Amino acid sequence: MMMTLIRRELLNNLMTFRFAAVLLITLLLVVANTGVLIKDYEQRLESYNASVKTHYREIQEKETYSAGEVEVDRPPNPLSIFNVGLDKRLGNEIWISHNNVPTLWEARMNASDNPYLNILSSIDIVFIFEVVLSLMALLFAYDALAGEREHGTLRLVLTHSVRRGHILLAKYISAMLCLLVPLLLSLLLAMVLLTTTVSISLSADDFLRIGGIVLTSIAYLSVFYLIGLLISAVTQRTGTALMLAMFVWGALVLVYPNLILAAIRSSDIPQAKAVSAFNQIKQVWDEFDRERKQYLATDAFPGEDPTFNINGMGFFYEHFPEEPRTLLYLYNSMMTFGKLDEKFEREIPHAQNYFQFLIPSTIKTAERAWLIRKQALEDTLVRKANMKRVLLKFSPVGMYDAATQAWAGTDLRGVRDFFDAVRQYRLTFIDYLDSKNAFASQKWFTADAGAADWRALPTFSFKRSSIEINAKRALPDMFLLLTMNLLLFTIIFLVFIRSEV
Amino acid sequence: MWHIAKRELYDNLNSLRFALTTVLLLALMLTNAIVHLREHPKRVQKYNDAVTGYENRLASYANESLYLLAQQGPGDLHKKPSPLHFCAEGGDAFLSGTVNAGDPFMYSADMTGVWKLSYPAVTPNLENVRPDAIKLDWGFIIGYVLSLVALLFTFDAISGERERGTLRLMLANSIPRHTVLIGKFLGALISVSIPFTLSVLINLLVISTDSDLHLNAEAWERLGIIFCIALLYMSLFLALGLLVSTRVRQSAVSLVILLLVWVTLVVFMPNTLASMTGEFSPSMLSGEFWKRYRQLHQELDEKYEDRVWSDNSDIKTLTARSEYFSLHVVLDERLNEDRLNLQINQFRHARSIIRVSPVAIVQHLLESFAGTGFERHLQFIENTQRYARHFREFVVDTDRKDPKSRHLIGIREGMAEKPVSPASVPKFEDTLSLSKDFNTRAMELLLLTLFVMVLLSGAYLAFVRVEV
Repeated sequence: MMMTLIRRELLNNLMTFRFAAVLLITLLLVVANTGVLIKDYEQRLESYNASVKTHYREIQEKETYSAGEVEVDRPPNPLSIFNVGLDKRLGNEIWISHNNVPTLWEARMNASDNPYLNILSSIDIVFIFEVVLSLMALLFAYDALAGEREHGTLRLVLTHSVRRGHILLAKYISAMLCLLVPLLLSLLLAMVLLTTTVSISLSADDFLRIGGIVLTSIAYLSVFYLIGLLISAVTQRTGTALMLAMFVWGALVLVYPNLILAAIRSSDIPQAKAVSAFNQIKQVWDEFDRERKQYLATDAFPGEDPTFNINGMGFFYEHFPEEPRTLLYLYNSMMTFGKLDEKFEREIPHAQNYFQFLIPSTIKTAERAWLIRKQALEDTLVRKANMKRVLLKFSPVGMYDAATQAWAGTDLRGVRDFFDAVRQYRLTFIDYLDSKNAFASQKWFTADAGAADWRALPTFSFKRSSIEINAKRALPDMFLLLTMNLLLFTIIFLVFIRSEV
Repeated sequence: MWHIAKRELYDNLNSLRFALTTVLLLALMLTNAIVHLREHPKRVQKYNDAVTGYENRLASYANESLYLLAQQGPGDLHKKPSPLHFCAEGGDAFLSGTVNAGDPFMYSADMTGVWKLSYPAVTPNLENVRPDAIKLDWGFIIGYVLSLVALLFTFDAISGERERGTLRLMLANSIPRHTVLIGKFLGALISVSIPFTLSVLINLLVISTDSDLHLNAEAWERLGIIFCIALLYMSLFLALGLLVSTRVRQSAVSLVILLLVWVTLVVFMPNTLASMTGEFSPSMLSGEFWKRYRQLHQELDEKYEDRVWSDNSDIKTLTARSEYFSLHVVLDERLNEDRLNLQINQFRHARSIIRVSPVAIVQHLLESFAGTGFERHLQFIENTQRYARHFREFVVDTDRKDPKSRHLIGIREGMAEKPVSPASVPKFEDTLSLSKDFNTRAMELLLLTLFVMVLLSGAYLAFVRVEV
């Protein structure tokens, strides 16, 4: 009996105009957009590669160790084609030096060749499913029960010894099968396009991640179908059901995310917590500055000149740049001379002693400041952003978006993985300087007796988090989607059981 | 005809969709007003602080000497926020609000060049980790929500009556068909206009409760125009709904078609098409930019190297140095402007293509009448360029009046050392003019009207020939 019901529903759905229309529009949109997205990805990859090359050349050309500020780049994520998330928006280029622990707030953007083009937002595959497929799911559902009730066929079916639960299940299964056709077919075409593009190489893990995205998409689709079915179960007429379904769709997809984000706009004024953390950081550096000045005053060299009268082709500067909004405060100093004006035999050992004291102290202070800054940034900037993310999840759209971003690794956590790796690399960088005995050597500030050696510096490479971590991040939201499915189905069942035909 | 319109209106007023539309539009417009009330004072405050900072900086240099003023320049020039920001947010997150007119090149610790005009190249909100959604401005409410509502009101206008058989009944009377169609159109227009007008009025009421956000006569004029554009845009979708409803036998099919058309026109065309066409016109990549920059400077340096850097300060060296500084600035500014123009052209190209989508047209129109968005940004850039010229002329003129000066701009020994009265220094004032907006936008208005006419006559032709 169940099979008969499913077959009937399936035929009913497949032979309709709406099925053809949905299939056509989804295929068209996904294919057209995938083409655009792949091109965009290739462009970003190209600019990433160019930038990596430039940065490598730049560091090799640095004559002294103090001038060695390494810049590293964040590679574009190939899965951003599915859900771009924050991949394109946050900075993808960051400098590493001994005097600051880098965070994503210091990152810059290297690929912004035309900033105006950013106004025209491009849309990713998940967005298409989010907007169009949810609409389609509602279109398949609105007349499932109300339509049969209107035609009187529902009464006819129920005169047979069919259980109401079976009717619901049959309708659900067959409609989901129909909805899967455009979803899977368009994804298949997108995958064909992806795998035939030379510049994109997907690993086995990437295919698993895409599998995760597909599963999430199905769960999301099912939520909207069930919402439509619920509306259809409680209304008497198809016209009303359709109207209600459209407004629910508008409210969930278009209005709710905007409304909730607009309702809790965060202010740009730093809160008390941020201000106190900033002052603490400043104090740490002030303490450092006092020690430094004391050293200069008490060392064997007369005067407090931090350049020790050494002069040549090059430059010296020192200052404390600050950015209270992102709690950035650091001691930035550079003394780098290629050829010296004279020999400075008396001064150079003093300078060497000074830097041998100064640089480890700077590193230590940077670490101390980072401990305060890390917590404060988490409290002020990240937590607020994450609260908004949680509020967005009250709509299935938000859950879907969060889960697919987590799978693709383009969410905030995925991007922050990169900065964790960058911080790790900074330690490698410092170790390298240490191994070259750079702080105590005169190559720190002058290339007079030979230039700095950067050949053995380990290059930075970033590996995206493993699939298990992606899954762990995506599972809570997927679980929420599944729970929502179950909940909706139970409600529909209860409503349908008790409704009069 | 009025009879039909009235009947249509009564039908709609009693329906569920009317109630839902009213609630939805009211909620959206209220949120928009509240957000504006909370955000706009901050924006104005930020701008005022920036302008005060700019004036103080200018005055401090002017009080020192004309030389310092000529070297350091006016500093950051700021874009004035529009009081109608709530109508169209206009990609403000991606457009920088400043142009830098300062930042002289430091050749060495005691040798500084002259200020130049440079345009920020990067999107300003790189460190924003918050999730984002489309901004809830009038542009969104009109462009997306109102168009969907218009379709929901008309998808069953003809096909529904045909299904119920009432169409045949109505045509049995001696009513010409076009009267029926226009009556239906007017009925739908009025019934969508009622909740829309109501929500707009409440939105403006809430916004005008705040005495700080004073809207002047010109702003009201602009709001009036925006309202008319919204009505025109709404008619377009009503006509589209009527057209499809006439051609299709079942209302359900009609709705499916309309929704698909809506998704294509409103959601995808503006985004996908623009991204596709953005590639066609050339732009200067940053690698290329820096290559040209280095090349220009190398040539200049080679030409002047031996004349500029000698330590003696005879008149020949000073003249060469002044020439070198000013040439340096001219080359920099020209390169900056070249890149800016290429970027603007590329963006314009992409924007002109997406005009095939009515929602893009209506958003451009709204932006230009609200005084936000890209065209406004161009006006701002033009204003800064004009001001930069004006400022340079002022420096030269003032210097010329001093008999003791050697009239070598940008050189301490060659310029008037006397302080300048800060009041006489030209101040940057950012302005926006409606007449100019209107000229650039007349074409888009015409295009929108044309769309409406075509769709309406299409609906008429279809309805005249259709069998009942």
